[in-house]
Amino acid sequence: MSAHAAAPVVSPMLLRLAEDRATGALIRDHGTLYLVDGRVVHAESPAAPGVDVLLTAGGRLPRAGWQEAVDRAGARREVGRFLVDSGRISGGELEICHLAALFDAAYFVLTPGGGPTRFRGGVGHWMGQVRPVPAADVQRETLRRRELLEAVWPYPAVDSAPVVPRTPSPGQTVTPRQRALLARADGRRTPARLARELGRPAFHTLLDIRRLAAAGLVATPYEPAAAPAQVPPTVPAWVADIAADPDTALLRRLRDALEAHL
Amino acid sequence: MANTETALKEATTIIDGAIGAALVDYTSGMALGTVGGGKDLDLNVAAAGNTDVVRAKVRTMEMLGLNEEIEDILITLGSQYHLIRLLRSRGSNGLFLYLALDKSRANLAMARHQLRKIEASLEI
Repeated sequence: MSAHAAAPVVSPMLLRLAEDRATGALIRDHGTLYLVDGRVVHAESPAAPGVDVLLTAGGRLPRAGWQEAVDRAGARREVGRFLVDSGRISGGELEICHLAALFDAAYFVLTPGGGPTRFRGGVGHWMGQVRPVPAADVQRETLRRRELLEAVWPYPAVDSAPVVPRTPSPGQTVTPRQRALLARADGRRTPARLARELGRPAFHTLLDIRRLAAAGLVATPYEPAAAPAQVPPTVPAWVADIAADPDTALLRRLRDALEAHL
Repeated sequence: MANTETALKEATTIIDGAIGAALVDYTSGMALGTVGGGKDLDLNVAAAGNTDVVRAKVRTMEMLGLNEEIEDILITLGSQYHLIRLLRSRGSNGLFLYLALDKSRANLAMARHQLRKIEASLEI
C-alpha cells in the first residue's frame, strides 16, 4: 500500500531488523517476536493464548498429540512440520491457526509503552517456520487492530477488567460467538482468561467485549482518573462567562429591589 | 492437502473471470492470505469491510431466530460479482473465502461449485 511511508511506525527496531534480514528474538515486556531472515516466523505473549491452546482447546488436536509433537520435534525446531507430516492436522489448518496466534501475540508484544526492546541474535523457536510474514505486514495489521478497537469502543478499561454481563434490552441479540463468551463471563473472569478457556485469540475476545460494551451488554468499569496534572479550578467555570458579559441591567434591578427592602 | 496460498492461487486460476481472492478471519477482519486484486481492488480493505457484511447477516439471522448457517453471500455490482463463502472450519474461528469476479467472464454457478471444492481442499 502506498500509505506505508506516512503510516506511524509501531517498532522502529522491528523494521530495522527486517531491513537487515536479521535472525533472532525481539523481546519486549509483553512478549517476543521471532525473526528469520528479517521475517516474523513466530510470536508469543503471556496476554495471548498460544497456538497449542488454539489447536487443543476446541478438541481439534488432543493435548497428548500436541505434547508428543513437542517432545519429538521440539529439539530440532520442527514441531509445525511434525504435526502436518504425522497427519495430525492439515497444512492449511496449521497455517491458519498459527497465523492467528502470530498476529494475536504480535499485537500485544507491540503494545505502545511495552518497555525497552532487546534483540537476541540467532535465537530460534521450537515451532519452526510455518509461514513467515513480512515485518511490514505485522506492523500494518497491528495498527489496523488498534484502530479497530478504538473505533468500536474507545475505552480500554474493559480490556482488562472482569467481564460482567448486563441484561439485554428487549429484542437485543448477540452472535453465537458472543453468546458463548457471555455464558462464561461470571464477573470474575477477565477477557484474557475467557480467551484462553474458549481457545480463541485474545484480540478477538477484546473486540467482542468492546462490541458488547458498545451495545451496553457488558458493564463498563470506570476509567482510571485522567492525568492528575490538571489542577481543579478554584471557582466554577461559569463564573468566567458571567464576568465576560455582566448583565448590568439585571444587577441594577437586583440592587434596587434589595435597597427597597432595607 | 493445500496450504492457504495454493488454495487461493487455485481459486484465481481455475475460476473463470476471477479478479482476486482472499481468505479472511471474520472476527478480526484480517486477510490471512490474498491473491490477485491489484490497485483497483485492495483485498485487505475488502477483507476488513466484508466482515461487517457477514457480521450483519449473522446478527440478522439471530434476530429472526433462523437457526441456519450461511453458505455463501452474493453481491452483484454493475461489472463484478463478489462472492463470500463461509467456511465450516473445525477450529473455533470464523473464516470466509472472498472472491471477486468479472461479471462479463464469470459463470456464477461454476464459480460457486469450484469455491466449494477449494474449501474442501483446505481441509480446515
